Amino acid sequence: MPKSFLLRLVFSVLALGLVAPATPSAQAQLLARPNWERSLVTIEVTFKLHDAFQPWNEPARAIRKHGVVIGPGEVLTTAQYLPTHTLVRLQKGGRGRWHDARVKWWDAQSNLALLETDDAAFWEGLVPATLARNVSRGPDFELVRWRDGNLETRRVEFGKFTVSEGALGFAPHVQLEVSTDLGGLGWTELIVRDGAIAGLTTYSSGRVCGALPAGFIRRVLDAQRAGAFEGLGYFDFTWQPGSNPYLLKALGLEGQPRGAVVHAPGREKDPARAPQPRDIILEVGGFPIDVEGDYLDPDYGHLMLENLANRAQFAGGRLPIKVWREGREVTLDYVVPRADFANERVPREMFAGPPQYLVAGGLVFQPLSQPFLRGWGEEWRKFAPFRLQFAQFERGRDERPSLVVLSGVLPDPINLGYQDAMMLIVDQVNGRRIATLADLAEALRAPAEGGVHRVEFMPGRSLQRLVLDAAGLEEATRRVVEFYGLPAAERL
Amino acid sequence: MRLIVFSRVWLLWAVVFVAGARAQTETGLLEGPPPAVAAAAPERAVVQILVSSQWPVYDAPWRSHPVRRSSGTGFVIEGGRILTNAHVVAWAKQILIRRYQDPRLVPARVVFAGHESDLALLEPLDPRDLDGVVALQFGELPAVQSTVVTCGYPTGGDQMSFTRGVVSRIEVQPYAHPGNRALLAVQTDAAINPGNSGGPVFQGDKVVGVAFQGMPGLQNAGFFIPPEVVKHFLEDVADGRYDGIPMAGVSFEQLHNPAYRRLLGLADDGRGARVDNLRAGGPASRVLRPDDVLLAAGGFPVGADGMIPYRGNRVAASVPFQLTQAGQRLPLTIWRDGAEMNVEVEMEAFDGDRLAGRQHDVLPRYTIHAGLVFTSLSANYLDTVGVLGRDRVWEGWARLLHTLHHLPAEDPAAARPEPVVLAGILPHAVNADLGVRGRALVHRINGVRIERLEDVRRAFAEHRGAQHLLEFVGEHEGPLEAIDRERAAAAHAEILRNYNIVSDHRL
Repeated sequence: MPKSFLLRLVFSVLALGLVAPATPSAQAQLLARPNWERSLVTIEVTFKLHDAFQPWNEPARAIRKHGVVIGPGEVLTTAQYLPTHTLVRLQKGGRGRWHDARVKWWDAQSNLALLETDDAAFWEGLVPATLARNVSRGPDFELVRWRDGNLETRRVEFGKFTVSEGALGFAPHVQLEVSTDLGGLGWTELIVRDGAIAGLTTYSSGRVCGALPAGFIRRVLDAQRAGAFEGLGYFDFTWQPGSNPYLLKALGLEGQPRGAVVHAPGREKDPARAPQPRDIILEVGGFPIDVEGDYLDPDYGHLMLENLANRAQFAGGRLPIKVWREGREVTLDYVVPRADFANERVPREMFAGPPQYLVAGGLVFQPLSQPFLRGWGEEWRKFAPFRLQFAQFERGRDERPSLVVLSGVLPDPINLGYQDAMMLIVDQVNGRRIATLADLAEALRAPAEGGVHRVEFMPGRSLQRLVLDAAGLEEATRRVVEFYGLPAAERL
Repeated sequence: MRLIVFSRVWLLWAVVFVAGARAQTETGLLEGPPPAVAAAAPERAVVQILVSSQWPVYDAPWRSHPVRRSSGTGFVIEGGRILTNAHVVAWAKQILIRRYQDPRLVPARVVFAGHESDLALLEPLDPRDLDGVVALQFGELPAVQSTVVTCGYPTGGDQMSFTRGVVSRIEVQPYAHPGNRALLAVQTDAAINPGNSGGPVFQGDKVVGVAFQGMPGLQNAGFFIPPEVVKHFLEDVADGRYDGIPMAGVSFEQLHNPAYRRLLGLADDGRGARVDNLRAGGPASRVLRPDDVLLAAGGFPVGADGMIPYRGNRVAASVPFQLTQAGQRLPLTIWRDGAEMNVEVEMEAFDGDRLAGRQHDVLPRYTIHAGLVFTSLSANYLDTVGVLGRDRVWEGWARLLHTLHHLPAEDPAAARPEPVVLAGILPHAVNADLGVRGRALVHRINGVRIERLEDVRRAFAEHRGAQHLLEFVGEHEGPLEAIDRERAAAAHAEILRNYNIVSDHRL
């Protein structure tokens, strides 16, 4: 028997062995399997960092993440790193040429963004992928990513659906958690099943990788395309589980224990429109609330009631809330407030513009924000000044919606003696209450008696006040700007 | 800045005990001629103090930790008493004195403990046990760069140890033992190690300090309590009562800024520190105002740096305040409204911040109702539950920390005299459904605002509704919990029995 025939026979058997066992459904899956390499793209983002101690500095850093083509001329990705971007480029096929791109739309709370490029060459050979309508529980998904120029597809296990704050925002919404041993995730890899996108990863911690589920993405994008997306909503009142039956009794609830107990109100004070302290939330949007504060979601199972702020509507939408109040059921005509960083006294992000600051006679003032606190590095929660961190948990948002901090002093003759003054929250300047740098700038236009600017700090154990010469302030500020090489004395 | 106090855990006391007496050694370390003590070398007045102590458990305040053994040093002073550090004898159940080169163990007791200044006076139960010991005499504050010798029983051996060094600097330092007091202290490069605590620091034959603490990260540096602070303590207790270090309740700031000086009408002559903050109700608030300028305190001129010249050093202007006895008047010269004036401030001891400092020798207060354990929010409690030194700030413990250390200064009207925490829950069916399980600040119980632990008992005792309603402190209104009143009352005794608790309160 010729040797070549034998070899051909062996290869034929091996080849048959590879395909013959495939069942009809498996064959169908193979046929349906999209070419993810024709949809998944790499994104390079160069973005500005917040230099908490010298806010006029804006060091840049670049990262790479993924995006996916989801429509003609449109790449979907997460919003992470895009709010302060200076340059965005796209690459297809995991290698080769980079194409300049623009951010068409981004939203921090939903953590979604759309990119586009005018470079026709980029789109050649790319095809839109499909976002799954809904993502059901388990058992397995696949994770798809570019790795060293090659497409990597790995199995990941379904974990759970959960409700938590997004990677960028504070509005809680549904998230998909998968388990995997893969490292280096959270860079917008695709979670896929049955040929469709089930989710986009946003973070990973240990063996857990979180993703935005496709159903959530689809709803946000549909609303955005329809011009009806006002942003994610959130419940700004605070509640606790109603799992203590004696508490429910103490609040007068009759019948079976149910519902969650409100213990702090939100901004809306009208009791006909918003839950009040000691209300028991019985239903939200028609969904009964159990004593854990959960509802039964038809798509995802038991989820925390917070998800209902965005399940059927977004910010600005009306959402009936049935509460138990003073011995009877009351239905509230609740309007879901917009999750806006400006609602927080110490905002989690400051994306409205570049970092703000104001330098007056060498005194450096900045808004107190979490980006500022993060200036203490990865372990900022350990090292940032306690009193500044505690402002995040403090009462008084209504009286003073935001805070300004004296972050440091650039030494100059005018501020002699104040070199060590730093990390102090400003209360008043020249008798005017300070909540923003604009307030401060305004206050500095009207010096106090005695020809000085009088800066007073929040009552406490640290320095309470200092004064600066008013007549010499402008000249001193000019001197400081020049001496320390600042681009400008202020950026408001 | 973290300071450590130097008593040593007494692991080898039996070995120490059997080391036995031996002939007096010639140390040759004490400086200068020893005329007055030639017949009685000063080390003969130095004793080792062996202590068995038992500290309470602050989050289960009816319990105590196992008995701990430690040792320190002390020395005999006039009146047949022994001076040592308060931290050496804190929470002592038994104190034994071992005299120099003497095999006997002498039982002793604490006569006075001044935890603020970390000093304590002991006496033997039988005064005859100090017969033949010549009391040590105090000298003056040593000069910087002068040589001192420490004497004591530090770790590393059983016999008395001597170390020599120079006085490195003299200034106000935080005292680690109370945790919230800063007093005059002397830094030296003479080795001061665990076990040295309470030992004398000699210059010639005079005691010029009491060794008491070190500072992690600072090499070749130990600290001793200077004669000023020691004398203040001894004068304080001379009337048979300990009043403590007075606190004026004022903070001064440097006054270098030309515009500020001009605004206050002061020449640019380097004089005066500005009154920046006054504690409401404190003695200083009765005579001083913000933006007064302190020109002199107790006759010491105060500089724009907030310091006074003191025996060749510059030390904080707080020193004359601290060295005045409670009840005495301290003369001040101030600048107000463009003119000098003389005022006096009557000094008072202050314990309004005792919970914020580390407490000793006073068992923690608590009350228990239906397994809910309430105790005072204190630095000891936070130490116990591990709040201090946490690696991140999260709302729960940040609120505890803020309430204890910041709120009294920031908003005295909102601060409570004794903030109360639900320290924990002794599990029982009657309290099993509570979501808040402990470490939570109590706001109200049955509508009664909780200012102190007595309010907790009253709020439970006087309530007649079907449920007790508990409100905790949060950003606005905090979490709520409830327990059934009748079931709680019925279960109370059983819970105490189950957990072997003798009394449901200590108030």
